[in-house]
Amino acid sequence: MKMTEKDCKGILVFAEQKKERIHRVSYELLGKGKELAAQLDCPLCSVVLGPPDMDVAELIYRGADIVYHITDPMAFAAPDEVLYEQNLVRLIRDVKPEICLFGATNFGRSLAPRVAAKLGAGLTADCTHLAIDQGQLVQIRPAFSENILAHIQSTAYPQMATVRYKEFNEAPRDTNRKGQIKAMEAYVSDNSPVKILEEIVKEDFDIADANVVVAAGAGVKAKEDLKMLQELAELLGGKLGASRAAVEAGLIAKDHQVGYSGNRVKPSIYIACGISGAPQHIAGMKESGIIIAINSDPSAPILNIADYAIVGNLYEIIPKMIRKLKNMKS
Amino acid sequence: MRIVVLVKQVPDMERVKFDCEAGRVDRSSAGTEINPFDLNALEAAVSIQEQLGGKIITLSMGPAAAEDALKDTIARGADESVLLSDRRFGGADVKATAKTIAAAIKKLGGADLIFAGIQTVDGDTGQVGPETAGYLDIPHISNVDFISAYSETDITVVSNVMEGSYVKKSSYPVLITVTKDINQPRLPSMKRKLSARKAHIPVWGYEELQDYIREDEIGLQGSATKVKRIEVPPAVTRKGQVWRENVEEAIDGLVEVLKKAKVLEV
Amino acid sequence: MKENIKAKLTEIVGQDWVVSNPEIIKTLCSDEAEIKITPCYDCIAAKPATAAEVAAIVKLANEEGIAVIARGGATGLVNAVVPIQPTIIISMERFKKIIEVDESNLTVECEAGVTLLDLVEYFNSHPTLYFAAHPGDEGAQVGGMIATNAGGVRTIKYGVVRDQVKSMEVVLPTGEIINMGGKFIKDNCGYDLKDLIIGSEGTLGIITKAVLALQPKEKYTGSVLIAFNTTADAVACVPDILKRGIKPLAVEYVERIQATNAATDIGQVWPVSKGSDDLYLIIASNSEDEFYEICETIVEICDAHNAVETLICETAKEQRNILEIRSHVYPSMLKKLVDCLDMAVPPDKIPAYMEQIRALSQKYGVEIQTCAHIGDGNMHNNIMTPDGQRPDCYEDLLDEIIQLCMSCNGTLTGEHGVGKLRNRHMKLQFTEKELELMRAIKKIFDPNNILNPGTAIC
Repeated sequence: MKMTEKDCKGILVFAEQKKERIHRVSYELLGKGKELAAQLDCPLCSVVLGPPDMDVAELIYRGADIVYHITDPMAFAAPDEVLYEQNLVRLIRDVKPEICLFGATNFGRSLAPRVAAKLGAGLTADCTHLAIDQGQLVQIRPAFSENILAHIQSTAYPQMATVRYKEFNEAPRDTNRKGQIKAMEAYVSDNSPVKILEEIVKEDFDIADANVVVAAGAGVKAKEDLKMLQELAELLGGKLGASRAAVEAGLIAKDHQVGYSGNRVKPSIYIACGISGAPQHIAGMKESGIIIAINSDPSAPILNIADYAIVGNLYEIIPKMIRKLKNMKS
Repeated sequence: MRIVVLVKQVPDMERVKFDCEAGRVDRSSAGTEINPFDLNALEAAVSIQEQLGGKIITLSMGPAAAEDALKDTIARGADESVLLSDRRFGGADVKATAKTIAAAIKKLGGADLIFAGIQTVDGDTGQVGPETAGYLDIPHISNVDFISAYSETDITVVSNVMEGSYVKKSSYPVLITVTKDINQPRLPSMKRKLSARKAHIPVWGYEELQDYIREDEIGLQGSATKVKRIEVPPAVTRKGQVWRENVEEAIDGLVEVLKKAKVLEV
Repeated sequence: MKENIKAKLTEIVGQDWVVSNPEIIKTLCSDEAEIKITPCYDCIAAKPATAAEVAAIVKLANEEGIAVIARGGATGLVNAVVPIQPTIIISMERFKKIIEVDESNLTVECEAGVTLLDLVEYFNSHPTLYFAAHPGDEGAQVGGMIATNAGGVRTIKYGVVRDQVKSMEVVLPTGEIINMGGKFIKDNCGYDLKDLIIGSEGTLGIITKAVLALQPKEKYTGSVLIAFNTTADAVACVPDILKRGIKPLAVEYVERIQATNAATDIGQVWPVSKGSDDLYLIIASNSEDEFYEICETIVEICDAHNAVETLICETAKEQRNILEIRSHVYPSMLKKLVDCLDMAVPPDKIPAYMEQIRALSQKYGVEIQTCAHIGDGNMHNNIMTPDGQRPDCYEDLLDEIIQLCMSCNGTLTGEHGVGKLRNRHMKLQFTEKELELMRAIKKIFDPNNILNPGTAIC
């Protein structure tokens, strides 16, 4: 049955959970969803699929007015798009939200199109902004290698979008917030043609998929000095990169090397520590989101392409930064 | 065994320009090529066919010129190709595209395995594959970077979702989207390339698909989203802020930057 | 290094652009050569931004009697930018501007510090024109490529760097700034000072700006890989291709082991598996039909020479992968490399030359792997040992290879230059009179022997 504008009301945020931990993008969606709901004067709902004893009140604390908790002891322990889709489609048909938001995680990007197909809805991928215009959702996404921003509207209901992680602020947590939790047994729990045999642990190191790269150059003198860079990288959820000079000096393995021939990287944050910035190196990292350079040489070419640069001694600066970040976290 | 590979002809992204005034991609500004991820999809199909036999059919929706991309797939190992091309398909969004492709696969008599690239480099949505599976009402496995095993009846792959790697096994039919890490596509032999240039690529328009899809389900009319406007963001310039003497101030500044970039929450 | 020089350099370029920290100086005293000479670290570096600043530094050097070396991307292979006495190193990295593309005269004007990669990327997004040469490592700078008359892979159709330089701005060793050449094709007015400075390896002047030739982009480009079972078959193919009037952008030869090692080293796969010797051609044409006709002719010629596999790559990514692997051959050898030779011989002598090289390798029991810009006869015979240590027989082997090269009417160096590495062998190629003339020219340009002493001549 096709949904129309008239019968649809409310915003539904899909909360992705793994081992009962909710992905943070879901809180960001609730944060944004709250704003949109206020403009539309409608409720903000969230749906989570998980075991019956999972604590879903967190979604209330983060701004959901109603949480639909679709439960099954086993079915949602692994990412089975078919089962997820069948349950979500049933719920969406019952609840009839006007807007459905998914995090643009690998799973969200895989699941949302299936759901959209079953509902005959439109879907906009990888949005970076959302707005309301005359009661309609405007979905804004970069396209064409980020060269343009397309403003897209859906012509069918619900209006569906996947939204990039770390674009919006997380909804603040308020443990006094009240809301309604509607737990319900899964509509479907075991007819998927896909069997998930196991989750495997991969240990491939790929600097190219790091969101933050902390890179060491010739200014790093000894192998054990990498420990502090590694610590900084870990505090930022990043990985350790290196210039050719550092690799050739034997400080670190070649798969960490960033450069034109080597690994070209595009992290959100690139922190170049003691890297002068040879053209080969710059060619491998210049498309990074924010470039931070720490170098004692004020004439180092890396400083010219950095957003933020400190001319100074990295052996003084890095430990201080680590201390400060640790203090903030504790 | 029948394997369908979905391919798209895309502009060479290093060269293509965006026409700010017309608000659209100036496709004449660059050459075209097969979407790079689709080559990985085709390579996966070819390597399975080498073991199990069967037929590989490549399928593309696009302008008449997309015939070149399909000829290239024949040079690289496809047995047959079909081009979906019709003015009425124009302006299709993900929904209309996926439905049209699904209709074509139905007309082909279905497939055991469908491979698609994880995304295209121009559209970048990564949605057409899973949505096509949805419209065909078959399962899909996305973000696959390894094929562990396959037989005449099922396939086992590694799918990277939910920040993990899951071994998934599916009976046929199933649609699989692959990443660039799954294989290294072979280069076509020159002889195959030269003979593939002369291949005939059948073109299907709406008429050919009408038993499987309604006219209001294709093209602009069948789309469920529309682009309201295009905005060209100002070119990013580097901030170029340099701290020299005061290390404490510099560190405070950097931490602020890191906080804004949301990398402190791990 | 005298303290007053630092102060005077600071006056010229400003405090930020003078480098005296010994650790940083150390990084400015080498290039990519495998044979390292011992540098003199008693140096100071300056990073000027204008020709006037360069001129002021050169004048200062004349007053103080101190050497000057202009340093570009330092991707050279013959120690040309390695200081061997106290030196002011002028790093050209701030000359970064691509000034103007002149679409009518098909030229680009750029500063000397613009890198090959800058040019490649700049013209990637240009609709119709490009810089057709690919003379070396992408980090190489325009000034350095001109000073060394670099060659590289893509020389068959459009020539070496000398053929790309229309005009340039040069700071002479005595501190004057002069302009030479122009956007014309014919020029017969006087001695050609421009061509004298091109390839002089930083001994006759410091290039600060240049106007380079551009070519219209061909609509269709593709790379072809052809595998053979023997070196002789691969090598014999080349004249037959060129004879047919086919002018590829590049005709490269690479021994399989070099290609696979280079590929593995950067996490790629060399796409050919059959055979043992590969030719790699880059073909460009404005018409699709002509492009494939060329391909067909090449297949036909290669089949006649017992080719075992012929592959084609047409996508930008695939073509870039192949070129990247080819460019990485040199770095991937470094652990085992003793010396990368750079002889060039007339194309008709290549088969005999290659056969003799193999014989010498066997005679001395030393591995020699070869890759070559074979279309122009420029051979890189790489002397290798398991640990990269120089074998006892190195000098004898080298002498025999040089004699072989001379007997083939070849030259000691096709593209790398003399630097501070090949000087002592120049006597084998030139008469004393010729060497005398070279010394005299140096003296006229640089009476105080300030600019890169000990380089390019002997």
